[in-house]
Amino acid sequence: MKTLGDISNLPSMSDIAFLLLIFFLVSTMFAVEQGIPLVLPGRQSTNVTVKRSDVLEIDARANGAITLDGRPVSLRDIRPAVEKGLAQNEKLIVVLSTHPNTEYGLMVDLLDEIKLANARVISLRTLPAEG
Amino acid sequence: MSFQRTVQIENRIPTASMADIAFLLLIFFMSTTIFKMEEGLPVELPRAAAAQSQKQERILHVWIDAGGDVSINDKLVSAADLGDIMKAALSVNPALVIAFNADYRTAYGTVAAVIEELKKANAVRVSFTCDPEADSGPK
Repeated sequence: MKTLGDISNLPSMSDIAFLLLIFFLVSTMFAVEQGIPLVLPGRQSTNVTVKRSDVLEIDARANGAITLDGRPVSLRDIRPAVEKGLAQNEKLIVVLSTHPNTEYGLMVDLLDEIKLANARVISLRTLPAEG
Repeated sequence: MSFQRTVQIENRIPTASMADIAFLLLIFFMSTTIFKMEEGLPVELPRAAAAQSQKQERILHVWIDAGGDVSINDKLVSAADLGDIMKAALSVNPALVIAFNADYRTAYGTVAAVIEELKKANAVRVSFTCDPEADSGPK
């Protein structure tokens, strides 16, 4: 039987509470970290000699200039160049040399472009400080 | 003379206390949840499109701020101590991934010095933590 003064409608209260519970359970997102993975050469790794033709050299200078095999290029040119290089030579090794005074962000931008071009063998180098 | 039976047994589940239980749970979890404070140094991460999700349980964070300070596990460390810390961490978990949470303005030389120490300690799996690519922000 319904009464007019039945304002505190308790059953729907629990619905609201459970709705809130379920909403927050579903919408809670745990922070997942994203990063560019890379495997460094360890202690056991030996130096290998590679052919000059297998190497694509990308340099990031202290002033933010980028060179590709010695030619000055912009960040946008890196990806097509690496893709072209990989199409011509599957064993291509991309060497990313960065000057110690270069911003880390530029190095990550370049690494991002190289990874996006699907290069598998990437080598990180540091340019000599005076260079 | 017969008396009418006044007590009737109802076979209904009382739902009135459901709300109490739900709110109690809500309040319990609200009051007991402790959010983990941001550890490490304040950094503005670089942005990258090739970033992949990393498994949290295997990660050791290395924080490097714009000034070149290096922090591991909430402690500022010098490059000389890095090797020992890495060796200790690797002996606990050999599949450890070292995540670089470095500010995009950091000079690469600082990062390179840490990478050199990692190579020496044989911590070869690294990850350069990035924010997902967006139109705005540092680039």
